[in-house]
Amino acid sequence: MNPAFDLLIDSGGRLVLVDEKGNRHENVRPARMFPLTDPEGWISLQGPSGEEVGFIENSKTLTRVQQAALSDAFAKRDFVPVVRSIDRISRAADGHLWHVTTDRGPTIFRIETDESIQQLGANRLVIVDDHNTRYLIPDIDKLDVESRRRLERYY
Amino acid sequence: MRFLAWSLAEIDEMELEEMGATASIHLIQGGIQTHAWRIMTGRVREADVFLGRFKDQHRIARSDLKLDPEALRPEGEDEEVVEGESEVKGFMAGPMVRLFVFAKTWHRLMVLGFLLTLASTATSLIAPWLTMALVDNVLIPLQSATEEVHVNQVYKFMAQLAGAGVLTWLLNWARTFVVARLAERVTSRMRRETFEHLQRLSLTYFNRKRTGDLISRIGSDTDHISLFLSVNFIEFVCDVLQCVFLAVILFWINPLLAVAAMGPAPLVGWLVSKVRGHLRGGFAAASRAWSAMNSVLSDTIPGVRVVKAFAQEQREIERFRATDKHIFDTNDRVNRMWSFFTPMIELLTDVGLLVVWAAGAWSVAHHHITVGVLTGFVLYIQKLYGRVESMSKFVAAAQRASASAHRVFEILDVKPDMPVNQGMRKVGRLSGEIDFKGVKFRHGSRQVIKGIDLKIAPGEMIGLVGPSGAGKTTLVNLACRFFDVSEGSIWVDGMDLRELDVEDYRKNLGLVLQEPYLFYGTIAENIAYGKPKATKAEIIAVARAARAHDFIMRTVDGYDSMVGERGQQLSGGERQRISIARALLIDPAILILDEATSSVDTETEREIQAALDYLVKGRTTIAIAHRLGTLRRANRLIVMEDGRIVETGTHDQLLNQSGTYARLHEAMMEVTSQ
Repeated sequence: MNPAFDLLIDSGGRLVLVDEKGNRHENVRPARMFPLTDPEGWISLQGPSGEEVGFIENSKTLTRVQQAALSDAFAKRDFVPVVRSIDRISRAADGHLWHVTTDRGPTIFRIETDESIQQLGANRLVIVDDHNTRYLIPDIDKLDVESRRRLERYY
Repeated sequence: MRFLAWSLAEIDEMELEEMGATASIHLIQGGIQTHAWRIMTGRVREADVFLGRFKDQHRIARSDLKLDPEALRPEGEDEEVVEGESEVKGFMAGPMVRLFVFAKTWHRLMVLGFLLTLASTATSLIAPWLTMALVDNVLIPLQSATEEVHVNQVYKFMAQLAGAGVLTWLLNWARTFVVARLAERVTSRMRRETFEHLQRLSLTYFNRKRTGDLISRIGSDTDHISLFLSVNFIEFVCDVLQCVFLAVILFWINPLLAVAAMGPAPLVGWLVSKVRGHLRGGFAAASRAWSAMNSVLSDTIPGVRVVKAFAQEQREIERFRATDKHIFDTNDRVNRMWSFFTPMIELLTDVGLLVVWAAGAWSVAHHHITVGVLTGFVLYIQKLYGRVESMSKFVAAAQRASASAHRVFEILDVKPDMPVNQGMRKVGRLSGEIDFKGVKFRHGSRQVIKGIDLKIAPGEMIGLVGPSGAGKTTLVNLACRFFDVSEGSIWVDGMDLRELDVEDYRKNLGLVLQEPYLFYGTIAENIAYGKPKATKAEIIAVARAARAHDFIMRTVDGYDSMVGERGQQLSGGERQRISIARALLIDPAILILDEATSSVDTETEREIQAALDYLVKGRTTIAIAHRLGTLRRANRLIVMEDGRIVETGTHDQLLNQSGTYARLHEAMMEVTSQ
């Protein structure tokens, strides 16, 4: 990567990109191109009005400090809990209430139709609840037997 | 049939005249029409071929001015056609037989299933046999108390009965498992083959068929077959085996009683044969009714916007209600027959049992048989009647499965009208030279393309313009080889298109249509549709080139965003740019743009135009457009009208000619200025 390139956090806590030509872009917003199938690679960096000012092909090639800056910026915007287990699924007035344990703790969410459960790749599922929050199941086979059985009824 | 013969010299000409639903061939002798034959439009193609041959022979004969008797044999043509038909008929033999041909791959499993069936049927007959001995050797002596009976004997019988029960259970378990497995494999293969076959059929077939009908054939009809194979058929085999065993045992125990017991059998047989035909018709009707309902569903649900916009919900409800009523009625008809049939069989078996009791009581009284034998006999005969009853149920199941199998085989029997195996020539990357030589194409009875000669150089961009119905899309479809030309030929890189391997050829082809179709999946998957192994870098690169990257990044999941059945969440222009990226990714030598910008607004058109400009660079391009602006980069504009090329040239040249193009251009300018 070009030596001029850098990613840093400025004093206001915002992400700053210095591109290959040395131009400085402040208040950049990182966005994953493949948030579900390749969260580590292909990160688009967008300026305040949404135009792309640069991109990172693989975040692992960044320095440790740059990676930290990037993940800090992501942490402020990203919220895709990973479902660890499905504890209960109950019928609600319209749709179903899912009681799950995620990597961010236990929660309850409501989904409306079967189409809210989408398959991505062989064993990977994304569940979109009625507030458009997305929950990720990275590998169905890694869920415990009980959770899988509950999931099977709906997917 | 009457055969007529003329020598070539007597005939001036033969002409084909189309008259809507029918056509006729006129024979002209000495300047007047002496004969005419009517043909159905379905046969126009054959007639065309025949006339083509005739003209060839005629020309040769004229130029040679002497007649060769072998040169023209019009009857030969007829014979060929008839032969082809009879071949198809022979192929259609019994759907049930063909069903078992499907199972041949798993013959080991089949033999295993059969052996298990045989064994489990045999063991289920042990219990009554033991009962016979139990009654005679234990129960009767116990009751009459004339002789000492050892308690051990009772235990022995109990143990034997229990053993027989457990053995039967085990064998039944194994049998059910093996048979269900086999049935699932057969139907899965059937579904797969039907779908694979469907994929090979040409567009013409799909244009004729209703989607819902095809869905229900592959979906529910194969399911009927699966149920039949795994449950009904195997039960039937068990029943037949048991009946045979039982009949043997019964005759062996006591022939007189056996004959008495068999009394109602012919009656049952007659009833079954009577009912069978009715049921089969009923089930076929039910399956058709079912697919009619599927058709309504697959018509109404995707078209829901139109339904709502015109406030026609009630009408669609009525339409659905009508098809549902149809299903209800046909099922009702079957059920009415059914509800009479089953109890009737029961009544007959009850009569048989009555006869056995009477004859048995008489025999016991006259000491011909013991009570034990009579008990065993009644147990066996009840089993036999039970089997007969369940066999009668098989009649219905078999008729339903046979009707379903027939509907599935109907798809499998459609010969691809595009002979895929004909072109075997493997090609790699083409340079993209296309040469239409005297191309004609007939759709049904209508001649759509009436002779096109057009040579397109590699990398040249051709704009096809002309009024609707001029045959532009048809010409493009011919170039894609969705259809085969009726006459003339298309040459690609100096090779006849019909000689090329279709799949190889289409790999060189990029298609951007007016209505971009996105499959249910992620945006990345949709872009990589023609090249599933594309890397992420490639996908992003083409998306950027197609000006799609920015809006993709505005969606929540970026390239991982799911697009619905028809990509509903995206606008028309966005979908179009994804389809351009899709075409760009396979880096085609030949590019077809069919009204790629027609369905979007001017602003979006500009965006798409930029993407298209990038796409057409260095590729042979055939672009159809109503918006003449789309064609500003075209090297040549071809103006088509009524299946023919009427003008050729650049924009300026054509304007100066003040012909069709100038008229179209003027009309368009008027619309824009308003």
